[in-house]
Amino acid sequence: MEIFLSAIFSGTSRGAIYALAALGLVLVWRGAGVVNFAQMGQAMFTTYIASTLIGHHYSYWLAFIVALISGGILGAFVDLSVMRPLSRKRSSNFLDSPAMRSTIPVIASLGILGILQSGAGIFWAAEERGFPTPVNSLGLVIGGKTMPFTAFDLFVIGTVFITLVITTYFFKGTGMGLAMRASALNPEVARLSGIKIGSMRTLSWTISGVASSLAGLLVTPSANLSPSTLDLILIIGFTAAVVGGLDSLLGSVIGGFALGLLISFVNVYDTPEDIFLAILVVLLAVLLIRPQGLLGSKEVRRV
Amino acid sequence: MSRTRSYGRKNLIISILFAVLIFILSIKLDPYNLGQLAVALMLFIGVLSIVLLTGASGQISLGQGALMAVGGFAAALAILNLGLSIWVAIILAVIAALLAGLLLGIAAARLSGPYLAGTTLVIALAIPSLATRFESVFGGDVGLNINFGNPPAWLSSLMGSVGYEQWQLLATLPFAVLALLFTSNILNSRTGRSWRALRDNEIASSLNGIDISQTKIFVFVISSGFAGLAGVLYGLRGIVGPSVYPISLSLMLLTGAVLGGIRSILGALIGSILVVFLPDVIDSIMKHFSPSEQVANYLPAMISSLLLILTVVLNPGGIAHGLHRTRRHL
Repeated sequence: MEIFLSAIFSGTSRGAIYALAALGLVLVWRGAGVVNFAQMGQAMFTTYIASTLIGHHYSYWLAFIVALISGGILGAFVDLSVMRPLSRKRSSNFLDSPAMRSTIPVIASLGILGILQSGAGIFWAAEERGFPTPVNSLGLVIGGKTMPFTAFDLFVIGTVFITLVITTYFFKGTGMGLAMRASALNPEVARLSGIKIGSMRTLSWTISGVASSLAGLLVTPSANLSPSTLDLILIIGFTAAVVGGLDSLLGSVIGGFALGLLISFVNVYDTPEDIFLAILVVLLAVLLIRPQGLLGSKEVRRV
Repeated sequence: MSRTRSYGRKNLIISILFAVLIFILSIKLDPYNLGQLAVALMLFIGVLSIVLLTGASGQISLGQGALMAVGGFAAALAILNLGLSIWVAIILAVIAALLAGLLLGIAAARLSGPYLAGTTLVIALAIPSLATRFESVFGGDVGLNINFGNPPAWLSSLMGSVGYEQWQLLATLPFAVLALLFTSNILNSRTGRSWRALRDNEIASSLNGIDISQTKIFVFVISSGFAGLAGVLYGLRGIVGPSVYPISLSLMLLTGAVLGGIRSILGALIGSILVVFLPDVIDSIMKHFSPSEQVANYLPAMISSLLLILTVVLNPGGIAHGLHRTRRHL
């Protein structure tokens, strides 16, 4: 029972982080029609920035804020420097067909990932380094009894919860959120109502950059920081997003928690080596049985 | 009909010229560059698998490295457990990769674009991790040792002493030539045209009687066979193990394909030579600036990623497309 509870708690806290990563992917997919494979590379880069600040004896919270802001800037930069020029080129011979139109941005995002990883390698050495937590990461003691979760777990779940509330409010309760939803749903009509589509796209990339940067900050304490540590989170985030339906924000969050629990159970009751296989099985099962995911909108195919 | 036949003759002549050129290089180069050229030829076969898959039929795969691993492990098991010769093992490896490609293709035919990219990326990570999971069979992190063996006696008596690197290159050459000939013929055939039709417009091609999912699966199978062949040759350099077929290998193949020109066979050759020799060129230039170790380690990856983005944004047709355009302007 003890083991079961601890698997549940660590799965929930991990799942919260995966939910953030999935959320970041879904934001860009809805907003700009691109699955951003560079996303966790961006997060890795901003985590290195935070780690450098902490190394120079600045406080954790200053580093935290700086990392989130630079995550947003990096997201906007990726859009403005690569993705927007690419989307303007859509008339070229090579991008004529829908198959290539969805393939080319994927290749571009892999190039960005490569630049971020090699850049981090050049700037911050190849050796791994740890990353601190703002609060204690030992089992929480309440009334003399050690609980199966840590203060850091609570911090992670709390932070992610607040982020989700803010994001939901932004999309449902503000004019700008409405404009973003409109341009994701129907760019042509949104443009006719005076919404600047390009800016909305850049905004999606910015928000996604902040969310994934937060995911990076929260997940790194449990692994060492190195240029390729967060690749696994990308895979899990992608699977979580597909499980939830690639275009549903709520679905991606549910998918994130589901994968967190699954991975935690594989870790505890099976062996950590099976994680990749479990992810692959879940991904294939969802894609073959219910390709639109739990909450995604069903794609209309004409043939 | 006559047009197809003349294409066939042209392809045959080009393949023979290619073989002669590489053969001359195999006598001239030093051992290090012989080894590198052999790797470039192996990757050429792998990059051709992407030209067929992504260039011709518009499906993306980030998991070609996993299919290479399937080929490599199948051959290693055949050589070590069944005691077969490497030539039989190579054939078995290609068959194993074809079967893996069939399974993958059945799943992949229902996916497109980013879904396919993500799924194949997961496969690229999951397949090599099986090697550590079933350590007793696949040799765990260390891997299994196989190699090209010694050059046969008739070759040594024909060419004087044949070094191991030279033998690697000469043993790879016939497979690269076959791959080249096969690719150029299939792309100029009715089959190749149906693949391109599928890429350009699924609805129109289905109205013209092309079975979409059957065609997609078929492309995947053929492409996997190529990847498997590349993988077994790549493993025969010494080790078959998860560290030989990392995710970066899959991305390297994709980079080579895009830089050279994703729709061109010449581009595949240029791209694979580029990804193999570019790090050497950068190294020899950087030596004059005595860079720190981490700069020397990461600079080649940085430059090839930069080239990848520039190619995609500025010249998506790659170098081969650029050459073609220049020739037309002259």
